[in-house]
Amino acid sequence: MPAGLATYIIRRLLLLPLILFIVSFATFALGRYAPVDYVEIQAGPRAQPETIERIREERGLNDPVPVQYVRYMGNALTGDFGISTRYQGFPVADVILPRLWITMQYNIVVLVLTFSIGLPLGTWAALRRGTWQDPLSIGVFLLFASVPVLISIPLLQWLFSVQLGVLPSGGWSEAEYLGVEFGLFSKHAILPILALTLPGVAGVARYMRGQVMEVLDQDFVRTANAKGLKASTVVTRHVARNALLPIVTILGFELAALIGGSIFIETLLGIPGIGLLAFESIKTRDYDTIMAIVLIGSTVFILTMLVIDVVYGFIDPRIRVEGSMS
Amino acid sequence: METRRLVLTLTGIAVMMIVVIGGLGAILLASGGGDDSTAGDDDGDDLGARVEGELRLFGPDPITLDPACASDAGSAEYIVEIFSGLVSFDLDLNLVPDVAEALPDVSDDGTVYTFHLRSNVLFHDNSRPVTADDFKFSLERSLNPDTQSTVGEVYLDDLVGAAEFIAGNADEVTGIRVIDPQTLELTITEPSAVFIDKLTYPTAYVVDQREVGDATCFEGSGWTLTPNGTGPFKLAEWDLGRKIVLTANERFHLEPAPALERVTFILSGGSSFVMYENDEVDVTGIGINNIETVRDPNGDLNADLHEGPRLDIFYIGFNTQEAPFDDANLRNALSLSINRDFLAREFLLDLVTPAKGILPPGIDGYNEALPEIPFDPDAARDLLEMAGGAGVIDGATILTSGQGATPSDILQAVLAMWEQELGVTVTIEQEDFGLFLRDIDEGKFQMFSLGWIADYPDPQNFLDIKLHSESANNEAGYSNPDVDSLLDQADREADEATRLDLYQQAEVIVVEDMPWAPLYHGKASYLVKPYVEGFVIPPFVIPNLRYVTITR
Amino acid sequence: MRRPVAVVAIIIIVVIYGAGIVAPWLAPYGFNEADFQNRYASPSLEHPLGTDNLGRDLLSRSIWSAQTTVIVSLAAILTGGLVLGVSAGLAAGYAGGRTDSVIMRAADTFASVPTILLVLIITATLLPRVIDLARDVEDLTGADWIVSSGAPSYFLVFGALAIFGWTGIARVVRSQVLSLRQEPYITAARASGAGTTRILFVHLMPNLTNLLLVAFTLSMGALATAEVGLTFLGIGVQPPHPSFGLMISEGVGLSNVREHPILIIVPGTFIVLLVMSFNLLGDQLTDVLSPRHR
Repeated sequence: MPAGLATYIIRRLLLLPLILFIVSFATFALGRYAPVDYVEIQAGPRAQPETIERIREERGLNDPVPVQYVRYMGNALTGDFGISTRYQGFPVADVILPRLWITMQYNIVVLVLTFSIGLPLGTWAALRRGTWQDPLSIGVFLLFASVPVLISIPLLQWLFSVQLGVLPSGGWSEAEYLGVEFGLFSKHAILPILALTLPGVAGVARYMRGQVMEVLDQDFVRTANAKGLKASTVVTRHVARNALLPIVTILGFELAALIGGSIFIETLLGIPGIGLLAFESIKTRDYDTIMAIVLIGSTVFILTMLVIDVVYGFIDPRIRVEGSMS
Repeated sequence: METRRLVLTLTGIAVMMIVVIGGLGAILLASGGGDDSTAGDDDGDDLGARVEGELRLFGPDPITLDPACASDAGSAEYIVEIFSGLVSFDLDLNLVPDVAEALPDVSDDGTVYTFHLRSNVLFHDNSRPVTADDFKFSLERSLNPDTQSTVGEVYLDDLVGAAEFIAGNADEVTGIRVIDPQTLELTITEPSAVFIDKLTYPTAYVVDQREVGDATCFEGSGWTLTPNGTGPFKLAEWDLGRKIVLTANERFHLEPAPALERVTFILSGGSSFVMYENDEVDVTGIGINNIETVRDPNGDLNADLHEGPRLDIFYIGFNTQEAPFDDANLRNALSLSINRDFLAREFLLDLVTPAKGILPPGIDGYNEALPEIPFDPDAARDLLEMAGGAGVIDGATILTSGQGATPSDILQAVLAMWEQELGVTVTIEQEDFGLFLRDIDEGKFQMFSLGWIADYPDPQNFLDIKLHSESANNEAGYSNPDVDSLLDQADREADEATRLDLYQQAEVIVVEDMPWAPLYHGKASYLVKPYVEGFVIPPFVIPNLRYVTITR
Repeated sequence: MRRPVAVVAIIIIVVIYGAGIVAPWLAPYGFNEADFQNRYASPSLEHPLGTDNLGRDLLSRSIWSAQTTVIVSLAAILTGGLVLGVSAGLAAGYAGGRTDSVIMRAADTFASVPTILLVLIITATLLPRVIDLARDVEDLTGADWIVSSGAPSYFLVFGALAIFGWTGIARVVRSQVLSLRQEPYITAARASGAGTTRILFVHLMPNLTNLLLVAFTLSMGALATAEVGLTFLGIGVQPPHPSFGLMISEGVGLSNVREHPILIIVPGTFIVLLVMSFNLLGDQLTDVLSPRHR
């Protein structure tokens, strides 16, 4: 590995703890700044204020925020991500991991499908410029990319669960394979995957089409054409490579946005994944779980961005010199 | 050269992605890939294939299954089936002995309760019978400040020595005495007609000290995945957030013993109604969107319809301590301009019962003779004039919980009625539930809307707890010395009939004063498959599953 | 009229946004005006889109909701996009060096946060505090309409969207500035003694407008979707203030969709039309303003 690249990676890696610190502290402080905490919420209408205050004190909720933060992060570094209050008394790691597993399952499939269908589709659309298929494909991509999940899911549910009765209206399967829960190969996975893939493919196809068209217009392509090279050679050799690079960034962003996006899907379909857990945790002020989810999300994002940048740096040395990929 | 670079790049990307994703996946798989529960036998992909003798239905996602800690009805629903206490209620709301072999002997001064325990109540692992010592441990655990339970005190603070124990000044609760392994003596500070009712709540249930150890409400709940209870059902599996499976306790000590082999509760996902139609669950609740389809006599769901009362009340509370709602005329004006009949029958499609007083139908002491609150806009307008006219309520707000969600239809309907009949405009203020509770506790409101469901089927739980001037749960700040004295008398009254009469008298005065504008009492409306017998949704949380049988 | 598609998109946007702006004069009914005798009414002259579960006119509700979308998206794009994003991008691109590093690291930090999560947390925890603050302001100034107008929740929503959205615009602006910086006319301007501010605003900014126009247009669609999503989850604009998200949350739920699909179809159609139009417009603008495309 060239020396420049190595230093580059190291520099980026050093930033990771800093960013994590800022993000985690901000989240932690915000959570504690909320006027009502989980003890009060759980105590409900019948408990005495003195009881609530006593328990709050014992749980360390009255300590200054930085103290609480240090305590939490100290534990987190040893792998102890705290104890959930939504599922009272259970370690956060035990609560989060199965849910993360479920969210990952359908999201990975969505990612794979989105890019494996979207990229060729977008390329194809770009090459059809000037024919009737061009505006049609633009229109179709646009339509699917513009329908928010909030709307597509109830309609899909209505169509497939109620009218046709072929898909379950929500939830997740418990099928096991080789002793591991893997609900992906069941009817429960179809709705979320469908609902996420449609806009995903549309978006990627649109973007790819734009990129390909841009490359097609460049001089060297026209030169290649003039030289008599076959269209497919031109496309694969020159077009694909140049158009592909920015796509990689998108891939990174999509991967990193998994958790946030899954909140809507899982709320609407009642899928017990990490999105639904995040939402519930915020409502019930389950601080430890919130922190753990935010930490995971941020770390995944930063690492993914790092990988992307490294790949970019490897491909295109110019960027390495400039210092960072915007 | 170019091609090679391209191929290398793509391979590089692919490898990186695989590493990142694969790494994540491996970590997750290694952590068990999703099975946080006990090793139950899995149902496989579908719920369509029903195991014989199995009841399948949706259930609330509980916060905890630790009896000492449950402060919500959702958790309590499961706890009452897995664990048991000295006494409980049957489906007719009679107090019956549970682990105790008979109702307790009570001393003449009404402060000492002596329970004789059955000798044949075993913990679920069949290892040993329950003793009085187990109860002492369990009750003290609920009160122990180290356990950090938010509800232990609420139900057990009558016990002598409880206050000292909670304050940390004593090692035990002196009011709980083990006379011998089968005899438990509980002493309370003052006679109370409802102490024994409070013992039916999970905080007084018995747990196995060998497995609980020093687990608290907030830490160490692992034992609740394989609890050693004494209830009619054992917890076979708890998949956090996904499902709960109960299996029958063959050695249960009461009759009827549970007839179901298995009960599966689905905690997440899907629509219960749609699954009922597809024969994937055996019971489902009904909402306002389905009720008409169900009530259609020609439809096939009609025969499955069951209805039952709920011991609750939904009301609008007024801040009686502050103007302008300290004026009874104003409160009555507002109350009289609500068309409760329309609300309950047409608006909510008869899914609720209009309320005329505080006590819900079905509770001991319900006053059939109490007149309905009329819908009388003319009288309301007169009262409003007497109170100072519509201007007096200008800019008033009603506080409700549920930040972000649409305020309940009923509330909006009531506000529209006020606008229409009295020309007053009230604004809804919504708050996060926790903040809402705090604000009403501190009197920071003008009006609020809330519900209350019975802890035990006794008028004391409604009138005294919510409307006695010294009660901590009297958010409206209502204070009427006549009512107070009637309630105090009733508290001390030994004769049941007289007691209930006193409560009824108190209720009459309350309705005149109108610190609350009662709106409606809930009903349970649900569908039950024809092959399921004996399934009833009880008026409040009591164990009901052991009465259910499946006939196919 | 060479681009009829763009024109259609513009018309749709103008109609919907315009309706939102003149909502108080245009909407025949109030957002919460209930009519209990007329619930779930079919479309009629009186109620062109029908009514909902409380007899509220769906057309009016849509118009009022459009107003919220207008307010939130415009406020967010102006604060987040224009103020934060452009200034950050300009500063980073032009000043370079240290400033550039710091700003880009900040952008990384903000972008690395799982956005929705943070926005959720912020609105869930801060809303009561913001309301308290607003009340204090009310006491000070005697303007008692602040809280009841819903300003706190609007503020929080577009504030949160702006804080997490500026990074995209900033990066784009920075790239452009970096490449423009070497242009001869900039060097000439500097040589002739022009101050930084002058260079930034007189020379650089005009060359950014095309870029910004496209970027802003595409962002608007995303912002509208975000606002709807947040309100749907219960943490955006708070009822009784109108929003498409609120309308959707009332219509969602299998029983609702089955019996009364119109509750979702009405707000859904408006949102899809709006987002599509923004995206379409953005694409068309890219085509027009980018010299390389025919």
